[in-house]
Amino acid sequence: MRRCTLFYALLSIVLALTSAVGCREKQQITGSTTENTGKPISISGAYALYPMVVRWSEEYKARHPGIQFDVQAGGAGKGMTDVLAGAVDIAMISRSIKEVEVEQGAVPFAVCKDAVVFVVNAQNPVLDLLSAHGLTKEQLARLFLNPEPITWGALLGTGHTERVNVYTRADSCGAAEMVAKYLGVEAQEDLHGIAVNGDPGVAEAVRRDPLGIGYNNIGFAYDLTTGVAVSGLQVVPLDLNGNYQLDPDESFYATKTDIVAAIAAGRYPSPPARALYLVTKGSPDPVEADFIRWVLTDGQAFVDEVGYVSLPETVLQTELGRLP
Amino acid sequence: MNSTGNLAPNRGASRGTFIQYRARHVISWVTGILFTSLSTLIVILVPALLGALLVRSWTLVSAIPLPRLLIGTEWRPLSGAFGFAPFIAGSLWVTAIALAVAVPVALLGAIYLAEYAHPRTRTSLKPLIELLAGIPSVVYGLWGILVIVPVVRQLAAFTRTDNPTGYSVLSGGLVLAVMVIPFILALSEEVLRAVPQGLREATLALGATQWEVVKHVLLRQARSGIIAAVVLGFARAFGETLAVLMVVGNVVQLPRSPFDAAYTLPALIANNFGEMMSIPLYDAALMTAALILFLIVFSFNFGARLVLRRVGGTDDVSQ
Repeated sequence: MRRCTLFYALLSIVLALTSAVGCREKQQITGSTTENTGKPISISGAYALYPMVVRWSEEYKARHPGIQFDVQAGGAGKGMTDVLAGAVDIAMISRSIKEVEVEQGAVPFAVCKDAVVFVVNAQNPVLDLLSAHGLTKEQLARLFLNPEPITWGALLGTGHTERVNVYTRADSCGAAEMVAKYLGVEAQEDLHGIAVNGDPGVAEAVRRDPLGIGYNNIGFAYDLTTGVAVSGLQVVPLDLNGNYQLDPDESFYATKTDIVAAIAAGRYPSPPARALYLVTKGSPDPVEADFIRWVLTDGQAFVDEVGYVSLPETVLQTELGRLP
Repeated sequence: MNSTGNLAPNRGASRGTFIQYRARHVISWVTGILFTSLSTLIVILVPALLGALLVRSWTLVSAIPLPRLLIGTEWRPLSGAFGFAPFIAGSLWVTAIALAVAVPVALLGAIYLAEYAHPRTRTSLKPLIELLAGIPSVVYGLWGILVIVPVVRQLAAFTRTDNPTGYSVLSGGLVLAVMVIPFILALSEEVLRAVPQGLREATLALGATQWEVVKHVLLRQARSGIIAAVVLGFARAFGETLAVLMVVGNVVQLPRSPFDAAYTLPALIANNFGEMMSIPLYDAALMTAALILFLIVFSFNFGARLVLRRVGGTDDVSQ
């Protein structure tokens, strides 16, 4: 009995002490520390940028032992929320930064480019037609902006009676915003369809549904190692001039290398192509700034390799100039 | 001041010195203060939470009266329409399906474990069930996508639903059911085991069969505890976020059949928190969603208490 009381008394004291220490530590973190305290650089946000940042953090860690990273994907919305709340050091953002976010202290640095592509299931009954003709902006708008169900036949003017199952993103993200902007509307909430969580979630949903159509960042639509579309998925070409034919200059979807070249040359429309940003709250502290500086200089060597598009040198220089 | 009252003065005082005696009293006094303040903290927590939610949601609730928010079906934050009915309906649908599946299974399982199972079976199964209750919800969600959604898709093919994808209220409900079964089962089993052995023996002595004992004595005795377990299960199911949002389809509409996609209150908060800061009232709208969630769980709890009082809850084993 007595030992029990003593134990609880001690436990309470220990708890009280640790929570006090915890508070002190927090204050230290939010205060501007100049030396690296051994705390990992925490990064969260866009799925689009996740594979790239993971690679960058590995390469940077190899060059700077003692620096640790904690990288998590959860959508651009979550990244922005986290960084503005001080929960993480850097956010990965896959859309333009909003005025309101800048007012709250968001400082964006453009680091590379990628694009969102539309994907269907590799077993899709009209796959040949889709590959031969692509889809026009109007056809995609009919799918994503209109909640009424439609058959693949009605969409393509053929006799197919299978329904189109449209998939969109549930978590707030840059990819959905890019698709919305491409289709001429404002925001993610204007897109209709079954909403699933995360970039991998959409890919998985379409991979399991022969009648599905969705959209993914190229990093999730194409296989990193083979360079072609992820098994079970097929990327839908965009019929850019709306002549219901896929012309030679519109055909660049076979491999990741092809589409990356098209994005770099501006042949793939923007949006859905867009710049990707690392965002800090206020000016980055020396540790963060050093990492971002490395990303904008030596780190650019890995952009091609991981399958992203480099920004023009002038843009990189501008971004470098904005670092403290 | 010694509120712990677990230090018998005749013990130890004879053994220890005066200093030790004083020290022990100081320690017990301090722990008394600590425990009192901790329990006060818990009591204060509920009004504090409610207050915070009210304050943060006030800008919306003062602009649009709560009843209108609750029955509004239009959700277009960009044009200032905040109708919560689809989310409330979605949450209720999913929870109702989950409980309809989970309560019978959990209750029968609890009766089996408490009354019929061999002690060895019970001791080996209990930790398993508790393990199930501790699996993170993201794992259940993933399992839902890989297993439940395809099954529901097969089922949907036989219906005339216009959502053949399998991402639906039914999937959400089934995943939730699997999540709350271990929870309700473990609690109910504890409650049943707490019924005094003498009652069982007395009833058996009157010539009752084992099932009659369960039906007429145990369930009656443990009724309030079982209702409490179900209410806790409801609260947990109603507030479950991740596992449900992974399989429910997240479409803002009033679901009309189990195969329709829907959107739940927790998913609304989780998907959009911190976004759209440029839209006035959006933040307040999410806080209102949290407030509605809180109020529904609270009123359900409160209702269950009233029911218990009406049926005259026997010795409340759950307390």
